[in-house]
Amino acid sequence: MTKNNKVIWQYPWGYIESFLIAISLVVLGFSLDFVSETKMSVIHWPTNLYIGVAVIILLLLLHSFFKEKKIIKWLSNVKTSISAISIYAFLVLLMGLIPQGSPKASGFIHEIALTNIVHSYAFLFAQTYLLVVLGMVILRKGITLKPKDIAFFLNHFGLWLTLFAASLGAGDLQRVSLTVNKSDAVYSGINQKGKVIPDLGIAIKLIDFKIDEYSPKAFIVDNKSGDILNKSLFYLEKGNKAEIMNWQFDVTEYFNYAVNTGGKFYSVLDYGAPPAAYVVARNMKNNIVKKGWLSCGSFRYKGDFLELSDETILVMAEPEPKKYSSHIKVYTESGKIISDTVFVNKPISANGWKIYQIDYDQEKGRWSEISVLELVKDPWIKVVYFGIFLMMLGAIYMFWVGNKKKIL
Amino acid sequence: MNIFNFNNIAFTSIVLWIIAMLFILFDKKIKKAILIGNILTIIGTLLIIVFLSIMWIEIERPPFRTLGETRIWYAVFLPIVGILTFNNWKYKWFLFYSLFLAILFLIINILNPENFDKTLMPALQSPWFVPHVIVYMVSYAFLGVSSLVSAWGIYLLKFKTFKTELLDKADNLVYIGFSFLTLGLLFGALWAKEAWGHYWTWDPKETWALLTWFAYLLYIHFRYRHKKKIVIALWILALAFIILLICWVGINYLAVASNSVHTYGS
Repeated sequence: MTKNNKVIWQYPWGYIESFLIAISLVVLGFSLDFVSETKMSVIHWPTNLYIGVAVIILLLLLHSFFKEKKIIKWLSNVKTSISAISIYAFLVLLMGLIPQGSPKASGFIHEIALTNIVHSYAFLFAQTYLLVVLGMVILRKGITLKPKDIAFFLNHFGLWLTLFAASLGAGDLQRVSLTVNKSDAVYSGINQKGKVIPDLGIAIKLIDFKIDEYSPKAFIVDNKSGDILNKSLFYLEKGNKAEIMNWQFDVTEYFNYAVNTGGKFYSVLDYGAPPAAYVVARNMKNNIVKKGWLSCGSFRYKGDFLELSDETILVMAEPEPKKYSSHIKVYTESGKIISDTVFVNKPISANGWKIYQIDYDQEKGRWSEISVLELVKDPWIKVVYFGIFLMMLGAIYMFWVGNKKKIL
Repeated sequence: MNIFNFNNIAFTSIVLWIIAMLFILFDKKIKKAILIGNILTIIGTLLIIVFLSIMWIEIERPPFRTLGETRIWYAVFLPIVGILTFNNWKYKWFLFYSLFLAILFLIINILNPENFDKTLMPALQSPWFVPHVIVYMVSYAFLGVSSLVSAWGIYLLKFKTFKTELLDKADNLVYIGFSFLTLGLLFGALWAKEAWGHYWTWDPKETWALLTWFAYLLYIHFRYRHKKKIVIALWILALAFIILLICWVGINYLAVASNSVHTYGS
């Protein structure tokens, strides 16, 4: 009941009706998730295209023939929009509070899909509600050439297209991980569900794996507990000096590849050779001097540390990677050979796949003989990017509107 | 970095800002107080900018990796937003609030000295890194100042002295903040495609960023429809800022954050 004694479900519908519908959709969704044993099936090409076209035609028809009907008017009301934004945001909030996709998940919250909301009926319904309302809002507003209306279109249609294409295309997204080596070309991989994809249509061979590392850090460690005691950082580079916790450190020698022979490290570029540093440490309180070699060791060689006192030792941490990349050769079915280098943040494209640098043999580090790549195919990406581009233009206009009163 | 030691710079800026606020507070008794206040605020802010530039060169990577580093950036952007809004709208407390927050951030950093780690993991080494983070920080600075309207408005409502035009100012700030928020979110999506293979993976930070975006979207739509419903609008604005804070800092304390790819250097 509202102030003017409107009975619920009497037109025009307001917040009460909109929120009741939105909440019912989500409750119905979670109920379906609870009763259905199997997971919601994902739609693929070309079914998703048909559904997409059908939805667009349906929205256009509703708008063209029934726009004066009260229920269609209700769909493009701001109050309805607010209910759609709220219910969608509510599900996003649940996703932000309940850890998603955990393999250990069980119990009631797992059974009603609260641990996998993206793939729940509740989310599907909430998103459909949002897309239908947003679609009807756009159609009712129409397209005019007034700057304000263009901006409205950019913001609303941009969001609609992004959400629409991203959700319809989700089933066509392929992500396959494969481990490449220097001896054979690999043409099969494992997708996100752990299924083996026997033939990717391309084969990849590793030519060279390269890794650049930062200088290793040194840490003062408690002998018994293994805790790191120093707060300020100290890099092991030749000539570096540092004052930490009453100790003065002086790195007098540093080798990037070193091998221990008779207690002394020599610079040797041997397979698996770790870095080593010679450190002179002087205690500023009692002037005791300790010196010796530090090395983090490797899968092949033992490391070394410096004893500072009965309770503390100085150790070298394993160097952290600065950059890593794989020089690969990609063989396509048409006989084309692509030779290129993949870096983190710099994928390459080949035969419809985007190839990403993901990982390497962590234990062997810079001596890794393999490289883990990910191949991604997303046929809908261009539509999504177009939506994102429209939204960006809309955001720029919005900045201009907000700034009309000359804040900047 | 001897004279340009963080504590020296931060302390100098804090003192300059406090003097600036005193000048502006007593502008009726002192000649040219507003001008002097403005100049002192700007000098204090420039000092932090110089410090950040030197730090950027010294650590050989963009200084955006840790919360401590971003706090210094807020100590730049907040005074800028404060001085712009103060000079346009003549509300002293916009400036006071921004400077107060900036001072608070600097004090937190003085109390928690950070060792500026030179390492930057390969996933963060991208041309998207700087625009993504800067756009977000500008957005947060504007939305942060808009949150003042909500807090102060809720307080004023008790005494029935709230003026509606104040919420119009908040709308301006939200529009600017929201446009940057949208760009930050979308830059993040484009970067994620290059770095992780997909533009959206429902990582906890992404989820909360989207939620923040929806909260302000809700505020904008509510204001558009109900210009007169001040109380609800103020509460939505306050709630939106709380969500923003959870997204920015609170997320590290949530159970979901354990598998986030956004938790760097903590």
